Amino acid sequence: MEVIRLDQVALWRRTQEEFSYDLKKTMLSILEGKYRQPTKKLVLNNVDLLVDKGEKVGIIGANGSGKSTLLKIISGILQPTSGTVRVRGHVAPLIELGAGFDAEISVMDNILLYGVLLGFSRAEMKERAQSIFEFAELEDYALVPVKGLSSGMVARLGFAIATDVQPDILILDEVLSVGDESFKNKCKQRMDKFWDDNATVLVVSHDLEFVKQSCHRAIWMNKGKIIFSGNAAQTVDYYLNGL
Amino acid sequence: MTISIKDNLTWLQVQRYWELLRVLVVRTLKVRYRGSFLGVYWSLLNPLIMTGLYTAIFGATFSSYYGNSILNYVLAAFTGLVVINFFSASTSQALISVVGNGALLNKICLPVSVFPVSMVAANIFQFSVGAFPLLVLMTLVNSKSSVNVLALLFPFLALILVSTGIGFLVSALYVFFRDLPYFYELVVFVIWISSPIFYPAAIVPKQVKPFLSLNPLSPIIESLRQITLSGAPPDLGLIWGALLSGIIILSLGWTCFHLWRHQFMDLL
Repeated sequence: MEVIRLDQVALWRRTQEEFSYDLKKTMLSILEGKYRQPTKKLVLNNVDLLVDKGEKVGIIGANGSGKSTLLKIISGILQPTSGTVRVRGHVAPLIELGAGFDAEISVMDNILLYGVLLGFSRAEMKERAQSIFEFAELEDYALVPVKGLSSGMVARLGFAIATDVQPDILILDEVLSVGDESFKNKCKQRMDKFWDDNATVLVVSHDLEFVKQSCHRAIWMNKGKIIFSGNAAQTVDYYLNGL
Repeated sequence: MTISIKDNLTWLQVQRYWELLRVLVVRTLKVRYRGSFLGVYWSLLNPLIMTGLYTAIFGATFSSYYGNSILNYVLAAFTGLVVINFFSASTSQALISVVGNGALLNKICLPVSVFPVSMVAANIFQFSVGAFPLLVLMTLVNSKSSVNVLALLFPFLALILVSTGIGFLVSALYVFFRDLPYFYELVVFVIWISSPIFYPAAIVPKQVKPFLSLNPLSPIIESLRQITLSGAPPDLGLIWGALLSGIIILSLGWTCFHLWRHQFMDLL
């Protein structure tokens, strides 16, 4: 059963460098008649993609080739300029741990906040709080504001919240295990569990060995286009030869 | 079958929006009042001090316009101040809310409008526990009628609509123009001076008056004062004027926000 389907997806984005964020300047340039429409760049070029349930797909390619943009399109953060995106199931992103935290409020409040931001209900998060505390080994810190935690603890908390839930589709953008050695092991076990379960996983990585070993399929992207899609080992070889 | 799924989907969306709003408001309030003894009542301090200041300076001069009663001047200044305070606090907080959460919007798929709305909602909560009970008390003392107390909700509703509309507008504009806060500070100041808060509307020259009536807060302040201070039954004409101003501003703000929303993500 297919869970993700992209048909002829193209995305034009405004380039930020050329854009003036300045009201004063913009008004002056309009008065002087020098105002021009912001330039746009083609970030994704007619991308077709089909992912079946349970598939683990690695996305590889050079920096700026559109890998993360593709993930954003799938998560619904960006809307394609043309083409259609169809996604079935709950997408959970696991990108840069801890982005949704507020340092001023307590760990417990942050669990509720982050969980709801990720798309779960408050009641659900309250029930899960205990297991999250246990996994992150932060039982004694429930009422401490997050700014009182060490950066390793924050990363542990982020990982624990985002992976405590069982999403249908997990999106990983260069996420590595965090914390000290014992916690790294726990993370790895949990990631392995995701891998064994029938969750669909999309992962962007520069770690080609990891992609080769852990993914069923890999996609090589270059300049917004899918150059090659197929068996992980084969794609990685093509990619390395193509460089 | 398809229809029921669709209904279900929108219901889920409404539910999600509500949950998001709730956690964001709780977050905002907790951050704002963490560790402070008076908590939410700090927000009353500003209008109370300002009222005292205005009364000390202008009270004696302007009391003749308020039936020669300094108390009436105090009450009029206070009602005006709580309105303008609500407006300026909620809109300037809404202004930075979308850009401030840009990093988050780039990682998780969220309804963008929830951020400005949550800022207004946090201020609604503050107002409801802070200034609103005082207004209710004033109304009860002046009019001795529960109809007037109920009617208080309408100018307040109009104030919420205006603030949300302007909040949408400025939060969207701020995505494109990052120097907007400086201009907006000026705009708030103009609105503040042009609302008859610490001076009676009667002293404004005839030629200038039509410009002042463009101020969306004027009908709200007028209606609020009529209900709380006059002791007469609520004037429906004033209430409608206030609500109309709210509905117009909200539709304007929402339309702009909605039209520009698709461009936000490229600039955050």
